[in-house]
Amino acid sequence: MEGENGVSISSQLVIILDTNPVWWGKSGSLGDGQGISLTKCLESVMVFANSHLMMSSLNDLSVIAAHTNKSVMLYPNRTHISTESSSNDGRYELFCRMNDQIKDKVKTIVLQNMEGAFHSDSLIAGAMAIGLCYLNRIERENELREGTLSSRILVIKGSEDNPEQYMNFMNAVFTAQKQNVVIDACILDNDSGLLQQACDITGGIYLKIPQVTGLLQYLLWVFLPDPLERPKLTLPPKVQVDYRAACFCHRNLIDIGYVCSVCLSIFCTFSPICPTCQTSFKFLGPPKMLKKRSKKLQT
Amino acid sequence: MATSRKLDCKNLHGYLKTLPWHVLDKLYSHPATCLAVFRQLPDLSKHYVMRMLFIEQHVSQSVVNLWVNSKYQDEQKQAITALTDLRVWHEETMTGGLQGWKMNQTFRKNMKIALLGGGNPWTSGEQLPPDKHSKDIPFLDKYALERWECVLHFMVGSTEGTEGVSRDIIDVLLHAGLMKSDSMEPLPSITPEGFQFLLMETGSQVWYFVLQYLETVEQRGMDLIECLSFLFQLSFSTLGKDYSTEGMTENQLKFLQHLREFGLVYQRKRKSNRYYPTLLAINLASGLSGLSSDSQRSGYLVVETNYRVYAYTDSPLQVALLALFCEMLYRFPTMSIGNLTRTSIRDALARGITAEQMVNFLRSHVHPMMLKNNPVIPPAITDQIRLWELERNRFKFTDGVLYSQFLSQTDFELLRDYAKDLGVCVWDSPEKRVMVVTRFGHDDVKRFWKRQKQSNS
Repeated sequence: MEGENGVSISSQLVIILDTNPVWWGKSGSLGDGQGISLTKCLESVMVFANSHLMMSSLNDLSVIAAHTNKSVMLYPNRTHISTESSSNDGRYELFCRMNDQIKDKVKTIVLQNMEGAFHSDSLIAGAMAIGLCYLNRIERENELREGTLSSRILVIKGSEDNPEQYMNFMNAVFTAQKQNVVIDACILDNDSGLLQQACDITGGIYLKIPQVTGLLQYLLWVFLPDPLERPKLTLPPKVQVDYRAACFCHRNLIDIGYVCSVCLSIFCTFSPICPTCQTSFKFLGPPKMLKKRSKKLQT
Repeated sequence: MATSRKLDCKNLHGYLKTLPWHVLDKLYSHPATCLAVFRQLPDLSKHYVMRMLFIEQHVSQSVVNLWVNSKYQDEQKQAITALTDLRVWHEETMTGGLQGWKMNQTFRKNMKIALLGGGNPWTSGEQLPPDKHSKDIPFLDKYALERWECVLHFMVGSTEGTEGVSRDIIDVLLHAGLMKSDSMEPLPSITPEGFQFLLMETGSQVWYFVLQYLETVEQRGMDLIECLSFLFQLSFSTLGKDYSTEGMTENQLKFLQHLREFGLVYQRKRKSNRYYPTLLAINLASGLSGLSSDSQRSGYLVVETNYRVYAYTDSPLQVALLALFCEMLYRFPTMSIGNLTRTSIRDALARGITAEQMVNFLRSHVHPMMLKNNPVIPPAITDQIRLWELERNRFKFTDGVLYSQFLSQTDFELLRDYAKDLGVCVWDSPEKRVMVVTRFGHDDVKRFWKRQKQSNS
């Protein structure tokens, strides 16, 4: 890829794929034309990944699975034992290898986690942190190379949000903002307030897919262009962002709450000692009305 | 006046455009060429292709125009012409009279194969048993560079390793005009273009050389399409993996032998039925997009503000390259020292090397320690080299026509003022009654003068 002034742009993409068993189980059992099975989704994602690598020889890719109890790096994966390319056909060897690795890894994840409790949410925040670390490493390695590096994370998610991840998630988002990493979100089912914020803060695209069966075409149209090229193309307009914060005590999303004046922690109920920084608020007397107003804050 | 022609290193896109369309159509019948062509397209065109790849029907032109923000119409036009030029798509009238774009079916089919799988494998033949003499990546890198440097050595005329250069390579060098043969001397000598070639990056050198080679391919009775698709196939193969020669045609085998000579592939023996592509071949499709393929090799030059250049190298070739524009002072076992002087730079300029090329050469081969500086090369040096080049460009030549022997001063003044009004008068001298008009303005002035004469008589 060549930029306007002839500088080569290498585009780094981290794909975070939600592999939550609860959601995929539900989606796969839906009738034709509504749900999408994990296999189909995986196929679309792999074609998308191939297309990304095909765009330029400088492009790099990493795929991370966000499962319900752990996040796993699917690609690149040094420990992978290369089973000699089984499908010997006209596909580009690099794609072939990458797709095989991803398929094998997903299979092991699914098989390893057959038992135990399932939650309906995935560890997106953890996967994002892994992705950011990876991008950071790539950036360091390329410090001396000429050309621009443009990094982004694409989250493909179907399961519900978990407010318990709010803190970690927001930390990851602000890190991404600082590192100039763009976060895109491709939502298959449940609208996610957290990801809406993440995309808005980092300048990415948030898209809830109207028709899940056309996943690949949406990926190719909306998410294939690099953030640096996006101004040139006509892309879907920005969505209205739900900017509610989650309180630190019960992880509920709230419109109005209490904020500690020392550490800026947010709470849904008043407590005399801040649980985060242990500051004690020593005003015993003031009338309740007045106190409430002074502590009120709209976030 | 150094008006020697600047070495024109076309990129793949430019090269493909020169091919006749029936060749292009045949080229697209291999997934590797489709991939290579795709990567060379402008960014917007790539997105167009990706968007249309899975749409099995015409797409109306007005719809395609809407894909791009109205502010970027120019780039849009470029993207569309690039696709039309390379016959990736063509215009067709849709039902209802609208103009639509239709993708080249062969291109679409083979892009899909490259992306999704299916179709025939690129290299025919079964999996090879593990190689007894298996080669690792560092070996291949070393081998490729050695072979390539052999060619360069031959060009600079140093005696080392020239015995490995065959008649074929010499033919290509002669054809490319990088060297010219003299009837007096047994070995051809280097031309100004050759000097420019030497200072290019390895990736661009290989690409330029291969392009020139491809031009001679048909004379050798080989098929251009077969060679090109094999070349692209090579550039998308995996480094350090061996491939079988089984199922290759006679021509391709011959081509392979030539590539082996340049160091693009490694083959242990001529008859061996396996080959390893080297980094030179793999970088071929990517190296031409301006990517430095020399990143593997660390630089060796230190340039100081006092015009002194230290070269930490023991390779005679690298020293010889530096000596093209640098006055060498001392040579030690692992280091040579030289000075950039006005004479040495002017000698190089006279040989047709440009200041830009010298600066680029210095910049792309600096020692890693120098990379920490910003700018990498001291500005005093780069500016001075450019100044020395400008020094030579004190004359500016303009084609023109001389008007003289005017009968009267008024005639002269009339014509001169007319020419000046048009802005085509280059020079005039009222004392001698002569003036020079640019070639471009000559017709106008002549016509004016004829009209003038007629009305006077």
